[in-house]
Amino acid sequence: MGLFSRKAKMKRSTGEAGLGITRKYNLLPGRSYVVEEAPPDISFDAFVNIVSTAERDGKKTVGIAVSRQHPDMIRQKYGLEQTPIYWLATRTGEDVIAPTNLGILTNTIIQFIEAHDNSIILLDGIEYLVTNNDFTKVLRAIDQMNDHISQRQAVMVVPADPRAFDSKELALLERNMERIAGKSRPA
Amino acid sequence: MKILVVDDSEAFRKVMIELLVKVGFHEVVEARDYNEAVEVFTREKPNICFVDMILPGKSGVELTKALRDIDPKATIVAMSSIINKKMIKDSIEHGAKDFILKPTNEIALSSVLAMWSD
Repeated sequence: MGLFSRKAKMKRSTGEAGLGITRKYNLLPGRSYVVEEAPPDISFDAFVNIVSTAERDGKKTVGIAVSRQHPDMIRQKYGLEQTPIYWLATRTGEDVIAPTNLGILTNTIIQFIEAHDNSIILLDGIEYLVTNNDFTKVLRAIDQMNDHISQRQAVMVVPADPRAFDSKELALLERNMERIAGKSRPA
Repeated sequence: MKILVVDDSEAFRKVMIELLVKVGFHEVVEARDYNEAVEVFTREKPNICFVDMILPGKSGVELTKALRDIDPKATIVAMSSIINKKMIKDSIEHGAKDFILKPTNEIALSSVLAMWSD
């Protein structure tokens, strides 16, 4: 009973209002991208740009974001009004997903993909997920999401700090995702 | 192709110029505020101007309007470290062609330049 009552509710999104600016990132439907960077600037810029602009045929993309950063901070910085944002944290709350609960995380994302045509997912905080679970479990959850992404022609963007993973883990992450080389700032 | 970068942060201008050079644009001029930007724009006649929306004194929106008054065909790309929809709408209404989020990156910058360079 307790388990089901903690199940995150899937939110429908009507999408962000267009900003009237250029679509800067050409991410292909049905693909997932791992962006090797820290902080996740390219990933957020791509996500925000895609949900705030229309494709050439006028089609809108709706997004869902999961992040270690607090949703209020993300909304304030990136001007996201309609996009559901979940906080990866150990606190309780409606829009919070515990890092240890990979089932709820996977379900929330899969339900969103299934409920929306043309969707994009930003999964920020993979390092935090790996800290709270073992790497294989996180990879399995991402693989499960990837199956739905391929089938529903969605897009997923996963920023990953390359300093937090060994080369074997990075290779496994890139096995089913395309790699975008970003820029890691020195600590 | 000459590019003008207007931002009050010297560090940001340096990073932006390095990025522009990296993506193949070597002729870059810079300005730190409204007055300097108007002066450099009039003298150098850049093809594309990247203008920070938050400048000391007169704002980036006011600068956009001024540059468009000098040259109605000026291509201006607004920049900001936050997405403030009202500010973006204002800058586009006053003649900016596009917007980029700071800090920018090679992919975003290349797309904007490909879109607006002749």
